[in-house]
Amino acid sequence: MKLHKFLKTVPMKLYLILLAVILFSFFSNDFGLVDIQKTAIILAAGVDKTEEGFSLTSQIAVPKGSDRAQGGTSSVNITTQGETVSDCVTALFGKTGWVPKLVFCDLIVLGEEAAKEDVISYLNYFLRNEYMPDNCLLAVCEGKAEKLITSTSAIDDASSLAIEKLFSDAAEKSGKVMTNTLKDFAIDYYDVGKSSYLPYVKMSPQKGAIPGGDSVGSGSAGGSGGSGGSESEEQIYTAEETALFAEGKMVGKLPAEQTLALSLLEGNVLAGTFNAKEKGKPVTLTVVRNSGGVSLDMKGAPTAKLTVDVTCRLCCRGTTAPIEDISSDAVSPEILEDAKNVLKGYIEGLWNTCKEAKCDVLELKRKLYRSSLKKYEEWEEFLLTSVRPDISADVKSMK
Amino acid sequence: MNKISERQIYFFLACIAPVAKLIVMPARLAGYCGNDLWLPALFQFAVQSLAVFCALLLAKRGKSLYDLLADRTGTIFAKIVVLLVGAFLLFAGILPLLEQKLFVQGVFYDTLPSILSFAPFFLFLAYLCSKPLASYGRVFDLLAPIALVGLAGVLLFSVGNADYGAILPVGASGARGLLKGTAYSFAWFYDSALLLMMLGKFDYKKGMAWKGAVCYLAGGAAVVFFLVVFYGIFGGTAVNQFFAFTKTSKYFSGFTVLGRVDYLFIFLLSLASSFYTALPVSGAIESIVQAFGQKKYLPTLLSVFLAAGYFLLTYLLDFRFGDVMRAIAEQAFYLFPAFALLLPPLLLFLLIGGKHETA
Repeated sequence: MKLHKFLKTVPMKLYLILLAVILFSFFSNDFGLVDIQKTAIILAAGVDKTEEGFSLTSQIAVPKGSDRAQGGTSSVNITTQGETVSDCVTALFGKTGWVPKLVFCDLIVLGEEAAKEDVISYLNYFLRNEYMPDNCLLAVCEGKAEKLITSTSAIDDASSLAIEKLFSDAAEKSGKVMTNTLKDFAIDYYDVGKSSYLPYVKMSPQKGAIPGGDSVGSGSAGGSGGSGGSESEEQIYTAEETALFAEGKMVGKLPAEQTLALSLLEGNVLAGTFNAKEKGKPVTLTVVRNSGGVSLDMKGAPTAKLTVDVTCRLCCRGTTAPIEDISSDAVSPEILEDAKNVLKGYIEGLWNTCKEAKCDVLELKRKLYRSSLKKYEEWEEFLLTSVRPDISADVKSMK
Repeated sequence: MNKISERQIYFFLACIAPVAKLIVMPARLAGYCGNDLWLPALFQFAVQSLAVFCALLLAKRGKSLYDLLADRTGTIFAKIVVLLVGAFLLFAGILPLLEQKLFVQGVFYDTLPSILSFAPFFLFLAYLCSKPLASYGRVFDLLAPIALVGLAGVLLFSVGNADYGAILPVGASGARGLLKGTAYSFAWFYDSALLLMMLGKFDYKKGMAWKGAVCYLAGGAAVVFFLVVFYGIFGGTAVNQFFAFTKTSKYFSGFTVLGRVDYLFIFLLSLASSFYTALPVSGAIESIVQAFGQKKYLPTLLSVFLAAGYFLLTYLLDFRFGDVMRAIAEQAFYLFPAFALLLPPLLLFLLIGGKHETA
């Protein structure tokens, strides 16, 4: 009776709050706890084309045990083959008994040969997968992705973690790398321009590393059941070049300076550097402010206006300099003039590469489509071949 | 018996009704009419607000739908209409239920869980539906701030990542795309039919009809804005993004440091949508109670029976969501405007005539 009376005094709100807490706990899936003994936590995946279909190299995080002194991330690389990427993932389960888990996969690397085909033919697996983060980084590599993923990094335990460092915000702001994600690549692919870009990763042996030696902190193990083993020589990676894609196929490559030009056009660069000349001697300038853009003028002959606005300071001279000069950030008019020409040259190079590759990475079609559907239908076929560039670069000195 | 207050009705229309439109509808609209996805939604909210206006005007006499009809047309016709509305609500309730199930399985689990993981929801459904419809008033009071904070949080983390130019050019999908988008999105708009079953559970206050319509439009504006943000974030791939409100916020750059705090807001929205999922079932039970009179254990038995039926349906249709959605939203879409758009003004017309007669 007392209990009944007590229950009557408990307000309805409390019941509802209790219900909310229970529902919250119920829907939480044990707050995402993962049984690592049964799960293959895939950190990165590399896709290559094979004669039968595809090969997928998965870098899987493995527990390091209780040795806290060692720290870092230990990983194992496993290569599987199949007609589709899904087959490869299933084969991974078949070979290891681990349930492949893509929810922590932050990097997908495409082998160069695989990138020459319509990449959506295999990336669609990742786009369909509800448990795959679509903001994972996407990159192309020189040669085979398997070789890159199974290589031993000189700077990190797992090659994927070392490669991801190249795609940090700071690296992107330096203008040295153009990063892209699965989601943004797919948006570009399904947009009217059907063009996009991906960073192009190269690796080279670290000078001074002992081939086959036991490198400190290297936790990569050889691929089981896959073709090719791990690279025992320590490698360093670069991604200063950018692969261009049209209709899902890799159609060209931007060298480092054109990658910088694309970054500057997108207004991404902060603290990036480039070189100009003063009296024939090299001078390095640091970009402290950047704005840029591409606009399309359809009055008369179609013209693409490519504008870059940069404020910079003197970072380094390739010659000796008096202390008064070192204490000043100001850039002389002569350097500014040369810097302007340098940037114009980079942008011109970018334009020519894109035109040659028939890649609309500057989004001209998208701009036209959004501004006028009628004009887009009129110019859709010929826009990229008939549009002329109007390039302007303005370089100012920090005062 | 406690009644739903005026404020609680506004809360339902402005805050809770819009949430259910944020799970699968955005992706479907993107599939039907691409970057114009917001136009059919705008149309739906505009016309539905008129139906809400009519439904709220019907509350002026303070009678239930059955009593209103019985006074004017006799009990047989009243029973038929009320039971038809109840059957419609049961039919309309299938889609949000399956959406809710897929949503829980897809978002809160990282591998496909068994259907049993969702089974406890039916206990909740049976409990909630055994309560009188008027008890939703308190639920609306509690859920309105929850839904509001949830949506505001999700939008806050999403707006900065959208490319708003993606919705241009307006009308690119053409008349065919827009018509398709409008027709096939009716399945998510039946709030006025829910209000019909709430008649008699709340008292009409001066200006309530237009205030309710404005509240509904305000909620609709938030949904339309969300759709613009959604398309701005996903562009041409929006069609692939089910469970929209769980997807848009995850690209917020601060999460690399903070972690996925947006899940708190997603949880809030999912809580609000769970209650909304139960509303059509409660409405259907109310229709049976109105038609056959209040019997002691009838609502409880009905709620258990219907929750069990829905569980069975969910089990049988486990991997056929696409088929079910096509059947409900694309093949039987005309049922929704018939009950949710035409019925409230028709009833109003009928009852205005009745007023003259009694006067």
